[in-house]
Amino acid sequence: MDHELLEHTADLGIRAWGPTMEAAVAEAVIGLAEVMGVRASGPGEVLTVRGDGEDDGSRLVALLNEVVFAVETGPVGIAGVRVRRDGGGLVADLEVVPTTTPGEGVGVKAATYHQLAVERRPDGQTEVRVFLDV
Amino acid sequence: MTVEPEQLEPFVWRLPVGTVDGMRVPAIVYASEELMDKAVEDRAVLQAANVATLPGIVQASYAMPDIHWGYGFPIGGVAAFSVEEGVVSPGGVGFDIACGVRLLRSELEWERDVRPRIDELVRTLGRETPRGVGTRGRMRLSRSEAERVLRDGVRFQLSRGIGFEEDAEFCEDGGVLPSARPEHVSDKAYQRGSTQLGSLGAGNHFLEVQVVEEIADPAAARVMGLFEGQVCVMVHSGSRGLGHQVCTDHVAVMDRLMPRLGIQVPDRQLACVPLSHEAADRYLGAMAAAANFARANRHVLADGVREAFQRVFGRSARDLGLYLVYDVAHNLAKLEEHRVDGRTVTVCVHRKGATRAFGPGRPELPAAYRSIGQPVIIPGSMGTASYVLVGTSESAARSFSSTCHGAGRAMSRHRAKKVMSGHDLVRKLEGEGITLAPSHVGLLSEEAPYAYKDVSEVVRVCEGAGLSRIVARLRPVGVVKG
Repeated sequence: MDHELLEHTADLGIRAWGPTMEAAVAEAVIGLAEVMGVRASGPGEVLTVRGDGEDDGSRLVALLNEVVFAVETGPVGIAGVRVRRDGGGLVADLEVVPTTTPGEGVGVKAATYHQLAVERRPDGQTEVRVFLDV
Repeated sequence: MTVEPEQLEPFVWRLPVGTVDGMRVPAIVYASEELMDKAVEDRAVLQAANVATLPGIVQASYAMPDIHWGYGFPIGGVAAFSVEEGVVSPGGVGFDIACGVRLLRSELEWERDVRPRIDELVRTLGRETPRGVGTRGRMRLSRSEAERVLRDGVRFQLSRGIGFEEDAEFCEDGGVLPSARPEHVSDKAYQRGSTQLGSLGAGNHFLEVQVVEEIADPAAARVMGLFEGQVCVMVHSGSRGLGHQVCTDHVAVMDRLMPRLGIQVPDRQLACVPLSHEAADRYLGAMAAAANFARANRHVLADGVREAFQRVFGRSARDLGLYLVYDVAHNLAKLEEHRVDGRTVTVCVHRKGATRAFGPGRPELPAAYRSIGQPVIIPGSMGTASYVLVGTSESAARSFSSTCHGAGRAMSRHRAKKVMSGHDLVRKLEGEGITLAPSHVGLLSEEAPYAYKDVSEVVRVCEGAGLSRIVARLRPVGVVKG
């Protein structure tokens, strides 16, 4: 499991993958934290956020937008993340560390549905792609 | 997919119906050959064609000369929808609702009055201007105060003695969109926004001290109070986290509703609902509230500009002639009257990275500008020129009275950072006589002038295509960067 950032003229994308949807989404959360410049060292407190939607793509977008909200209003850094399914949603237990300074990265306005993709790769890994408005 | 635009006039190109499946109208792109090549290369013209598939679109999907690849809609896109059969799409406005530009003029002259004190002025402006990601603004708002800002726009600040009474008149919509419905703004949006009023934000947002370098239209410039050698201040900012959250919330609602309403779109970020649906009412009410917040945000930032000038020059803001030329948004959807097929109809005009540019005579304009047309403020990219344009009557039939919004990005942030480090860019710009106060030097080169298209070329095409006319060119001498 891993992730990489995708080039886009005005914005930034994240491609993340792992053995399960949950693992791929956790990687996408780490990618988002990197973009925002809010990767932190633990130990921190657990903050649980949830993304609901009609399909995994919209659940991923909703979850990442909850992370954007948590980081901006905390403000917090993210030291770790575990993702699980709960009913019709994706739930992330974020390990968050309070911070007084805004992130050193790019300001992220939101995760978008633009070119959103969730797919099962031939190698059995689940891959997600999501673009951010920055 | 191969795109072969037809050139109709020197600066006008058409993508016919059929360029992408489901187009209901053609896409019209205003561009020079060079700008067109870039728009085809980054596939932004295909996004303009995608917008042409949306239900109830009227006449054409338009793209301004600064078009570039966005998410769903292109940046630099304009689309008008029939009130009866059309849709509203939050993606056609964007996340930074009512992001825009405000221009203050002064009685000060660059060489005589400001040049000797530019370092002190930029430092003072930097202190008065909270900026960067998630930054707390100049004003903290209680929940009830935030609701008043969302409902009353700059009127709320004016009631507290912030700003000049006449500032409201020189904002698009008089500083307040009365259609605002704060009750459709979520608690999350309030939480993101209530601490951020009066902050610049990050990315391409800026506050610049500029000098009027050249007047192209002396009559219009006189009406706007502009003269060569004059010092002005330009503020580029938006609705901060509040607007971003409003867009996030309402796109999610529409994405869920669309399958039930039988609407299909080529990109999910084009999510939309019929204008007759209650979800459209809720979005437009929340969007107008966020627009009022954006206008109020620039108003509070401008108050900081006046304070900084007063402190540095030891004279009152009125004595320094720090008056508002105009405040325009470039991400907004509005119900406007336009002539379509010989009839006057109300349409919902979406402008995403495009600016309203009403020609002379429109009743929406302040009395002072009704004879010349609406001022349009075009921010350059730090280190390059900015422009003041004026709307034309011709643009009514050509683009639903719209023109460009800026230079438009040409290079990704990652590539821009590889060209030059932030420290090198500071040295380069300072070598060109520009005093800088960046919030984060490491990120500065993401917004370097070379990452953007040539703004002079963009406004020249706008003038050539009849979308707006150049009034004045301004060059930056001091940059406070978000």
